[in-house]
Amino acid sequence: MLQVPMTDQSAQQSSISTDSAAAQNNSSSTELKEVRKVDGDDEDKELHELLMPDVRNLPLAPPSAVESNFVAYFAPDFMKPGHDQYVYRHPNGLCVVGLAPTHVAFRDEGGVMGVDFNVGKSDRSAIKVTGKRKKNAQHFESNTMLCKVCTKSDSYVVRCCVKGSLLEVNERLIKQPDLLNSSADREGYIAIIMPKPADWLKVKATLLGLEEYKRLKEQC
Amino acid sequence: MADEAAADSLLDVERQEAALASDGDADLQAFREAVHSLPSDAVKDLMSAWVCSRCIFRLFGLTEPCSCPCLSPSVFTERLMPENLVGSLIDGGSSESEHSTSLPEPVVCSVCLGILQFYHNNDVQLLVSKDGMNDLAASIAELVKQEGHQTDSFSLEVSIPSITLDNERVIMSYMSRKYGSQLYSQERSFSECICLKNALKSLIKAPLETLLGVKYGQGPLHIRLTYSESSKTIEKSVEHKFGATSKRRKKGNENGLETVDGLMNSGIGCIATGVGHSVVTDTPVNGLQHHQSSDFSKLLLEKVRRPCSLSFHCNRDPIYFGGRYLKYSRNVSQTCWMIDEDRMGEASVEEIISSCILLMCRGDKYKFHAAGREDMDVRMLGSGRPFLVEIQNPRHVPSDVLVKDIEHKINSSREKLVRVKNLKLVGSQGWTLMREGEAEKQKQYAALVWISRPLEDPDLLSISSVRDMCILQRTPIRVLHRRSPLDREKIIHWLVFFFFQLRVIIERIKTCL
Repeated sequence: MLQVPMTDQSAQQSSISTDSAAAQNNSSSTELKEVRKVDGDDEDKELHELLMPDVRNLPLAPPSAVESNFVAYFAPDFMKPGHDQYVYRHPNGLCVVGLAPTHVAFRDEGGVMGVDFNVGKSDRSAIKVTGKRKKNAQHFESNTMLCKVCTKSDSYVVRCCVKGSLLEVNERLIKQPDLLNSSADREGYIAIIMPKPADWLKVKATLLGLEEYKRLKEQC
Repeated sequence: MADEAAADSLLDVERQEAALASDGDADLQAFREAVHSLPSDAVKDLMSAWVCSRCIFRLFGLTEPCSCPCLSPSVFTERLMPENLVGSLIDGGSSESEHSTSLPEPVVCSVCLGILQFYHNNDVQLLVSKDGMNDLAASIAELVKQEGHQTDSFSLEVSIPSITLDNERVIMSYMSRKYGSQLYSQERSFSECICLKNALKSLIKAPLETLLGVKYGQGPLHIRLTYSESSKTIEKSVEHKFGATSKRRKKGNENGLETVDGLMNSGIGCIATGVGHSVVTDTPVNGLQHHQSSDFSKLLLEKVRRPCSLSFHCNRDPIYFGGRYLKYSRNVSQTCWMIDEDRMGEASVEEIISSCILLMCRGDKYKFHAAGREDMDVRMLGSGRPFLVEIQNPRHVPSDVLVKDIEHKINSSREKLVRVKNLKLVGSQGWTLMREGEAEKQKQYAALVWISRPLEDPDLLSISSVRDMCILQRTPIRVLHRRSPLDREKIIHWLVFFFFQLRVIIERIKTCL
């Protein structure tokens, strides 16, 4: 990545600062006192050199956080044709659920206009999960309703896709449903779910990887 | 011939006594007076119960003769011989026999089980020497020297089997009942009994001070003597006759150090008697009182008592090194990170720094503490992260010069993964510094940023004019599985950028909390 190897010059600088530190303790010759004044500058210089990346190695656009931190899975036509959703899984087991770019909602004119979390038996946005142990988190099945996404002409149900505890819904979508249109795979995520390891393994078998999903959708 | 031999042995005794007298005339004088001051029939009773001389003194609460170094039992009996104890004692095979060349098995004290007599059982043979105390001190000093400990003071910790306390209690209550009134008239009581541990400590203290050349005190060096019952003692099943196990368990926490022995005793008790737990705790607590007189006679009858096994260890208080570290590699974790026996990453900061220090101090183990953490794929630059290395049982406390050497050695290693600054020995203030460092938490971060459009001057101005901006950070998904989902307040103190390319900025962000 952005590793800058320590040049000989900075190595020398660092040894000088160690010596001057020793000089401070021993309070000896005057020449080292001069080095001490410069010491602070040396440190900054070293830091600066370390921080400056090698331009030639930089990509034009960096990989997104989603790309680097999550493994992407897809659930095409979940319970209904055209309802394509994604499940991004983090190495720590948490799953972020949202609308895949090929979801029918995006084909409607004007795109997504509103999001309502008050579905099923409760308002999903009203749940407050607290503590490390995630008390109060509701356990949902993969077909439990998360929210309704409304466009000008129609409304679509979004479901969990993964059996587990609901940790968080993206309540920003209530005020800013346009996030779904602009970045459904990042800021426009729908919810975060915590499945048990066994439940995840079961669901994983039914999901598609990125390549498979692309191939499938290209055919349409 | 026999007469001559007897006369010779008597002469030997005289010569020995003379030698002793020349060594510690004043001591001996005081000793003689002390002996004479004790009620003779009580003493006679105790002696016939095989209570050693030091225990007799401490039961009566006399400190000086108890701690007299040249106190051999023979001298004691010599003193009391005029009181016609000789007959019964010789019949019982007394400790007088120490004078003869062939040593028959010496009698172990029924109260202290040989602890104050300095008889130790090595599981192989009974170690008895005339000068048990000084021999023990010598062996301890030898161990300390072998380990190579440096210290200016030492402390003693003693752990004794709880049966000695039971024995003491039995004897005390017996004596109070039998001689209580007599002692009261002499203005004495048994309540001044000196505890076994203190007696032992005061005995061993002086020779150790001389041999080690340092003072006794709270000292960083701790010498622990652990006396444990030899398994053979249980064969006489003295325990479940006393029925004192339940009481012993309560007593077990008297001086915190006994718990191990208490457990071990009951463990061994179960093995030897071959019966389960219930047998030993069968007898009710106050059963002790009922059995007392009969128990005492049992004490008298059961002459075979094995002395305890002794093990001693020395351990020094840990020392602490403080400093700051920098991490230049994106493949080095902070602490040793293993998943299923596989190491994650190339190395760990903890190992690089601590193993070097541990080697120089010749310690047993290290513990690494840092004020905060960073991920493995993140570098630690700038002034560095404060850390503390705790070295347990160090044999050698390095000087300032040596500490500088250690720092230099870490910094000049081939791989240049980690660097250390300001390494030094710290006392207990090291911990407060760490806590402060964690609480204050003003951190500097550097990030490489890609901007999606060209930047203009107004943009740069708005970036660099940020001062103490409050933001709310929601728990990142990365840690959401183990932290509470909360919005936490953060403050961005300032932003500095290095304008790199039209589309790239490096930002240094300083944050707090």
